[in-house]
Amino acid sequence: MKLRLLVLLALIMPVIAWSAEIGIIAFQMSADTHARTANAALGEAEAQGFKVTLLNSEGSVPKHAEQLDTLIQKGVDGIILAMGKTQELDAQLEAAKQKGIPVVTVMSGASPHTAFDVNVNEAAVGAQIGMHLLGMMDYQGGLMMQRYEGHGGTRMRGRILDVILEQNTGVNLVGSHTMAKTKSWREDVRAGMEALILKNRGNFEAIWTSFDGQAFVIDDLLREQGFKRGDIILTGVDGGQEAFARIRDPESLFTATVAIPFEVMGRAAVNSIASLAGGAAPEDIVAGPFLYMDAVLVDSANVPAEGQWPW
Amino acid sequence: MPDFIRRYGTAMACVLLFAIMGLTADNFLNPYNLLSIFKHVSFLTIISLGFTLALASGELDLSFAHIASFASVCTASLLFGGYPIVVAVATGLSCGALLGVANGLIVTQLKIPSLIATLAVSTIVNGLSFLVTGGVAFVGRLDKAFLFLGRGSLFTIPVMILWMMIAVVACLYFLKQTRTGIHLVCTGEAEEPSRLAGVATRRMKVLGLGLSGLLAAITGILLTSSLSSASPTIAGEYLMTGIAAVLLGMTTIEPGKPNVIGTLIGALIIGALRNGLTLLGAQYYVQDIVLGIIIIASVSLSATRFKKVVFSAPR
Repeated sequence: MKLRLLVLLALIMPVIAWSAEIGIIAFQMSADTHARTANAALGEAEAQGFKVTLLNSEGSVPKHAEQLDTLIQKGVDGIILAMGKTQELDAQLEAAKQKGIPVVTVMSGASPHTAFDVNVNEAAVGAQIGMHLLGMMDYQGGLMMQRYEGHGGTRMRGRILDVILEQNTGVNLVGSHTMAKTKSWREDVRAGMEALILKNRGNFEAIWTSFDGQAFVIDDLLREQGFKRGDIILTGVDGGQEAFARIRDPESLFTATVAIPFEVMGRAAVNSIASLAGGAAPEDIVAGPFLYMDAVLVDSANVPAEGQWPW
Repeated sequence: MPDFIRRYGTAMACVLLFAIMGLTADNFLNPYNLLSIFKHVSFLTIISLGFTLALASGELDLSFAHIASFASVCTASLLFGGYPIVVAVATGLSCGALLGVANGLIVTQLKIPSLIATLAVSTIVNGLSFLVTGGVAFVGRLDKAFLFLGRGSLFTIPVMILWMMIAVVACLYFLKQTRTGIHLVCTGEAEEPSRLAGVATRRMKVLGLGLSGLLAAITGILLTSSLSSASPTIAGEYLMTGIAAVLLGMTTIEPGKPNVIGTLIGALIIGALRNGLTLLGAQYYVQDIVLGIIIIASVSLSATRFKKVVFSAPR
């Protein structure tokens, strides 16, 4: 599927790229995943000869809207939103469409005013890691959850695990902590899980987290408390070099993650913009509102070497 | 001449900025782009005017951004619940005004410095916003009449710009033409002499902080309308930029004092810089660096009042 897509993109990619300009807006560059996507898109666009303006909305929807408005006024040839807020920016996206500026989003959700959204299937991601975790637990024992409800993807992963747990009654949810949406979220995760680990010590075999950053905090916490690899199964979602390093590290309790191909998605967005700016229709690239990429479950069996990626 | 520069230097810099951007950045002076700048600056101006009034009364309000977000989620939750627009908007405005008054009462009655009091209230309000939303943003499905408040246009002029003009004129009139407004300014400039002269200084401080809450709520509601969404962090960005706009404003027109026209100029400088730098193709970190330098420069020029408010003990 991915190979077919890349071949198609290569065939219809126009030669006008070097004279054109792309605007890339990342919603929150301080978030690792947003930065990985935006920086990959920036690198790909520059490599193709595009002039690029990279903007950071710093997590602010009003600033996000303002930046999109400005890029539209600037008359760029294409816009990429990395983890953008398509529903909130409905009016701006409609204006871009009216001006004939193609917009491709990455992990932002569908909009009738954008070409399509480059994404992974979050429900599938949640199912992958949830089923892997329960399999590792042999479908029995105590489980703790570190949730995050402030993001659509992490919320979906949590809901999928809820469904999986309903079907597997041998696994008991002994504790759950929902991370607060604050800038000091690491401290919040640490404080919440510290209390839960203390309360449930000896009664749980695994900890599920909604994204890797939470798992790293809990991994450090578990190690400080004397847990060794094999004592607890700890999983996350996102992937990245830090996640792979921990999976390789025999001291770490971090067991598995689902690696989301942020860099691949950033590059695919640029290739798509190049095609659309060259006259291709969105339907020539993908029929529906989503251009899905494959996320890869990574554990000790397939963890890539340092600096390598699983795709 | 030096006095003219001191008084109008920043205003002239604003004009110069528009001229330079107009010459260097393609489309900067395009009427649609200018309207876009003014439209986005409107939110910043209205919320900053509230901070200006609080500072004019001699108190600091660090809760205005979270109050704006709270008013936004309260209004949206009622609209999503099927309540009439008037009820939802009135509730949002009331929440903002009441929280502002609560700030004032904590400062004047409990004698807690406004820096700490408003920070604490800000934390509480942020928690309340998450309580209302459960962390999930209200998005879409808002009535067209409500959306007109923030998205509409009258004779091609975005209504947001009209709201901003109304807010500026109202605040200017209040501070310069009404007895209460003059008492509020006197309270901020010389609290003890004002009190001895019969000014109800405590009441003025409550009023200053209350109006700050009200203007924050107005901004929050207009943001909800403009973005057709509400979330607990929707106005978070305005804390820093709002303070920056007011501090920039304190370097001009009435140097060293929070003033309405100065705040408008400060907001315009920030808005024009952001827009112009984007049109010039400057990357995001350049914009942050430039804005940071401007804040340092403006604070160094207008710090006297700010320092006095931040570090003085309440009376």
